[in-house]
Amino acid sequence: MMMRSRHARTGAAVLAALALLQEAPAGMVAAEEEIAGENIVSKEEVAALRREIRALRDQIRALQARVEALAPAAAPQAPPAAPGAAPEVPGASPTAPTPAVPRPAQSPNLLNPAISGVFQLVGNSSLRSRRESDGFSLSEGEIVLEAAADPYAKVNIVVTIPAGESPDFEEAYVTTLSLPHSLQLKGGRFRSALGRWNPLHEHAFFTVDLPNVLRNFLGENLRGDGFSLSALVPNPADLFIESVTEVASTGNEVAFNSRRSDPLFLERLRVFIPASPDASLEAGITGIYGNGGATEKLLQDIEQFGPILEPRRGLASSLQGIDLTYKWKPLTVNTLRSFTWQTEFLRSRRRLEVLRLPALELATARAWGAYTYAEYQFRKRWRIGTRLDYSELPDDPDAIERAGSVVLRFQPSEFQEIRFQYKRTGRNDPAAARFDGRASDDEIFIQWIPTIGVHAAHKF
Amino acid sequence: MTTPRSRMPVILPRLIALIVALGGLQQGTILAREGRVRVVASLPNLGAIASAVGGDRIELTTIAVGTQDAHFVDPKPSYMVRLRNADLLLVNGLDLEIGWIPPITQGARNARILQGAQGYIDCSAGIPVVEIPAVLSRAEGDVHPYGNPHYLTDPLNAETVAGTIAEALKRADPASAPLYEDARRAFVRRLHEAVFGKDLVDLAGGAKLAREAAAGTLDAFLDGTAIGGAPLRARLGGWMGRMQAVRGKPIITYHRDYSYFAARFGIAVVDYVEPKPGIQPSAKHLEEIVARLKRGDARVIVTRPFVEHRSTDLLAVRTGAEVLTLPLEVAGAPEATDYFRLFDYVTDRLVEAFSESARAGAR
Ligand SMILES: [Zn+2]
Repeated sequence: MMMRSRHARTGAAVLAALALLQEAPAGMVAAEEEIAGENIVSKEEVAALRREIRALRDQIRALQARVEALAPAAAPQAPPAAPGAAPEVPGASPTAPTPAVPRPAQSPNLLNPAISGVFQLVGNSSLRSRRESDGFSLSEGEIVLEAAADPYAKVNIVVTIPAGESPDFEEAYVTTLSLPHSLQLKGGRFRSALGRWNPLHEHAFFTVDLPNVLRNFLGENLRGDGFSLSALVPNPADLFIESVTEVASTGNEVAFNSRRSDPLFLERLRVFIPASPDASLEAGITGIYGNGGATEKLLQDIEQFGPILEPRRGLASSLQGIDLTYKWKPLTVNTLRSFTWQTEFLRSRRRLEVLRLPALELATARAWGAYTYAEYQFRKRWRIGTRLDYSELPDDPDAIERAGSVVLRFQPSEFQEIRFQYKRTGRNDPAAARFDGRASDDEIFIQWIPTIGVHAAHKF
Repeated sequence: MTTPRSRMPVILPRLIALIVALGGLQQGTILAREGRVRVVASLPNLGAIASAVGGDRIELTTIAVGTQDAHFVDPKPSYMVRLRNADLLLVNGLDLEIGWIPPITQGARNARILQGAQGYIDCSAGIPVVEIPAVLSRAEGDVHPYGNPHYLTDPLNAETVAGTIAEALKRADPASAPLYEDARRAFVRRLHEAVFGKDLVDLAGGAKLAREAAAGTLDAFLDGTAIGGAPLRARLGGWMGRMQAVRGKPIITYHRDYSYFAARFGIAVVDYVEPKPGIQPSAKHLEEIVARLKRGDARVIVTRPFVEHRSTDLLAVRTGAEVLTLPLEVAGAPEATDYFRLFDYVTDRLVEAFSESARAGAR
């Protein structure tokens, strides 16, 4: 603000210029600039003064606005006229817009990260018989923070507060913003880039529950502490092709339940094909290589029959996934109508020990599973979807679960969602034996997910 | 214990080699073809203005199409590819694109166009913003916390935007600065003529008229200044001249996206079909609007191609109100082929709708 020091000096000149800026007499308007040039002050001086006056005027307006903002009664946003009020016709002149105030909410919090919060209330009940897990629960709450750390990196933190447990970092990672060659490096704790569903947090699911294959192969989800390197793969068609490479230590208790010192390696390749302005196809393949330890079944068997045996860890365990997503979102009415069809296949191959008394024997278990989910949005706020599940158990391919679900999703606004789901599950005998002898189940779910805070970015 | 694990470590070096090789392939594409500035505009209006200022010195890509809802463009990965090599990204700002510009800029891995970088051009700079909420609460719907972002519905704001874009282009391509400046001037001249009419601009000067309009004193100026006995207003042409016929007339809009337009052209937005931004109208709210329409508070409803039409159809059937689906952006209607045709079309349709509703009212 150099101007300030010159205020006094230019005060008189400003007044003179103000006079000049008053209406020129008729007929002289078009030529005002030329005329000014012929008069006492030069054209440049007038221009300079005019600039200063404009700057002063803006300053005054900004100050006015700040004063108004401080007065609690002042409401710059006129509400629509109440019913019954006569239509407000602006005066002869269009109302002068309020000035550009830099930004509202000036405070020391200005540089705080963007914060949002979300929780899920879930009700789940079997229609067959009472189960331990039936009832309502606040399944999880999440606090999400996001901000640029500096010009080079961005930080995302998701603190999860599972019902009845202590808070923990669900995810916390830093992402580089300016590596060369379109590379992006991520470090910290994050969901593994396995397919389309695993990276989603519960509030962003399509259905209330996880697809069976993910539940059986991964438990809750797969995540780890480590690094992820993502690259955009150049290609002549200029398609979005992304390669993600991860190295992470995981505490996963199902597929990769070896020591933390046995890291897992992940490689994912995905391609996005904008088939038309309204429709797109995304395809991805993922491979994960790591190590596992004793399966839950083995631990149970040992407890029952062979207490002196010590199961091994560091047994090879791998997962391969294929995912396909078709989306139809007509550009013009993308908020009103859409269709999504998402399918994932997952194959597990793991070395494991089984109890063959009197010793443990090494074996290889190959299992696979899949889900396919289709959803139609038929109103701005309503979606209906259906999911089919097939899953072998990763340590016993003979044990098979099949399930079908129907889900109804209602989103009163972008910040709230209510889901209803009906699910029917069938299991063959080996699988039933692993689920308390339940060969089939009928379940209903209800879930209410409110979100507060900053406007989260949309997903695609 | 060795057999199962021995394979794993081999994979990592291979992957790293692959990534490095892939990264190397990309280097060649950093420079723009024929030295042109690569500009990506988030929305068609910005693209149209950029095209007028940049001409063939720029390679322009526009992300959204004209019939789309600027609040809800899907952040498709294909847009990240378009942004990857961009020199400049033009955004409307004021959080209009909050749902989709951040994810695609972050996915684009292009530090030049990240928010805060030189190539991230927020076109709301210098715009006198209206409707900055005094209280920020989602109880008021999906509010725009920095004020109403639909400022390009006032064509005079395009002058500011053209200036912002010209400055950005000059910085990115100093050698062509005079070309950008000439193009900006030509655009502004054409804009003033389109807003006020060529006659009046020749007589009074476009800059003078724009200043008066910005200060809210245009009417006093037009009525208080006479030439040959006739006030200047007699010479008013262009969009403002055309809209004289509907001055002071009340309209109802779907979303609060016509505030700047209404202020500029002196029409009154008396209600909104949406009770609050982004909130679908309830039956009760629609009843209230029906009552207002029946009382004659308004006869014309302005809606958009991308919103639901059930509410406005119902209002039309119940009250006989005239419902206009008007574009907000260039190419939002087939007739709106550029920023000028957009306003030609919109002002035509409005004037026509009011004369029709007047005729209907007289019957
Ligand atoms: Zn809006």
